[in-house]
Amino acid sequence: MDSVFDELYQKYHHDVFQFLFYMVRNKEHAEDLVQEVYIRVFKSYQNFEGKSSEKTWLFSIARNVAIDFFRKQKGWKEKLLEKFDWSTNQVKDEYPIPEEITVQKEEILWIYKCLEFCTMDQRAVIILRYLQDLSIAETAKALGWTESKVKTTQHRSLKVLKKQMELFYEKEGLTSEKVRVER
Amino acid sequence: MKKSEWSDRELEELLRLMPKIQDHRDPRDIYQNVSLKKRKTKSWMLPGIAAAAALFLFFILAPKLMDSTNYSHDKTQEQKSSGNQKMKIADKRDTSMIALQKDDPAVAKENSPKTVDKPELMSTNSTKTAIYDEEVGDGTVLTYWIPDPDVQILIPVSIIVPAAEDTSRLTLFNENMANLKEKEWGLSDFYPLDLTRELYEENNSINVDVPENHQYGLGSMEPIFINALINDISSNSISNKIILTTNGQPGIDFERFGKQENLDIVNKKNHAFFFYYPKGSDYPFLTPSEDSYKDINTAFNAMQTDKPVLGLKSSLLPLQPLNDVTVIDRTLYVSFKGHSDLKDNQLTSSSFEALLLTAKEFGLEKVIVKDSPITHIGSFDLSKENKVPVAPNLRTIQ
Repeated sequence: MDSVFDELYQKYHHDVFQFLFYMVRNKEHAEDLVQEVYIRVFKSYQNFEGKSSEKTWLFSIARNVAIDFFRKQKGWKEKLLEKFDWSTNQVKDEYPIPEEITVQKEEILWIYKCLEFCTMDQRAVIILRYLQDLSIAETAKALGWTESKVKTTQHRSLKVLKKQMELFYEKEGLTSEKVRVER
Repeated sequence: MKKSEWSDRELEELLRLMPKIQDHRDPRDIYQNVSLKKRKTKSWMLPGIAAAAALFLFFILAPKLMDSTNYSHDKTQEQKSSGNQKMKIADKRDTSMIALQKDDPAVAKENSPKTVDKPELMSTNSTKTAIYDEEVGDGTVLTYWIPDPDVQILIPVSIIVPAAEDTSRLTLFNENMANLKEKEWGLSDFYPLDLTRELYEENNSINVDVPENHQYGLGSMEPIFINALINDISSNSISNKIILTTNGQPGIDFERFGKQENLDIVNKKNHAFFFYYPKGSDYPFLTPSEDSYKDINTAFNAMQTDKPVLGLKSSLLPLQPLNDVTVIDRTLYVSFKGHSDLKDNQLTSSSFEALLLTAKEFGLEKVIVKDSPITHIGSFDLSKENKVPVAPNLRTIQ
């Protein structure tokens, strides 16, 4: 096996896979996309100048791969008719929730569902900041943004999550009351 | 913890508790998939192009095959399968020289002995694919870096155009960009690029200006666009800097690299040349590795194995084993000792060109072969020194 692949796999595979999974919310797609990340890495490995860490560089590639994936999902017609704005677009999905999440406590399941309502950019920031534990500066490098843009997006995404969590509470609360009444 | 109101801190803590989702596949399977996936893409397209090209070639070449007196009939029969491809290059090479001659009588005169090359090439039934000093004449060699159909690697393809007075090489490069036949050659349709290039003589730099709505900064296009810009300018000019502008304003926005205003051209050398076979073709492009090697021996070692992820094939197998590789005064000495089954065919000829091009990468000017069991590989006379090529992969745009 290629030594570069071996090294990257050992160091970063699970983090990159984790990032892609939470971006596209489907394991099979994440499996395909992580392979695409390797292909792009091999293609441009010699251009990596060490200006950012290998890890943030890989996340930036993974994010581009995810964006390209959603572009393809949108289909040719739409792509020709509109200029896709990733900062405002919300992509709704209906994939089954993996077992690793369904076995968690209810709030985790809720927040996973709420992440669906975040834009691609907001989701990327949430994953990098809280699931991958990157700093604001590292997140900015991975996304090719300024630190202030990361902070603003982070703030907005937490606001979206808060709103959705409250809606969930209302919905779930009403359901549980309904159940209680029926009993 | 069910509640109607959440603080930022509580949400952050909850997010940190999200479970790790694992990829349970064996890394070897993933590596295998990466290699395979790269090769599978757009598999429907090239057979069609190859079939059309084959049909086209058949009509073009059939009369020549009938009339040719230079071919031994037996040999033609024997090597029919690979002959068409070789003829294609030989024919193109001839056409390119005719084109030069037609445009410039002086060049025609100077190049008139070239036509005797043809019987020699034909008699050995294998063809040089690179451009050598004696073939350039007064023409100008332009090298374009074209992505493969999977947009993984860039392949240098060279053409010879008639030099024109008062026309700079950069202008010739821009003018001929639209005439490339990438798809016909089995590569990605890449040129012409929607940009202008202009030489800033005062600081030896080239300004690349893209329109406002350009697509070159998007994810998958970005690295290949930047690399093609750098390689194109590095191969065709002595400028050492690219100044990037968008509609005249400083900088081009890239998704990954952010806004870039300049690109430095570092003339990377010491690459090894591999074979890249377009789908459906037995005739390889000679393609430099992305890696640089510390010395020519290391490069030759690397050239003995494939690079499956990038779709590159070993280019030195027909010449193995290479013995006594030494460098003295910009000359590479190599021995074919003990290589009793060395064959004089197209594959060996291409392999020898890969060796010559790699030698050039290491700053060498000629190659001398010792102890060869055969005197010729195609039109290369192994009893004499052979100069390294001017540029790889000659094609014509006529």
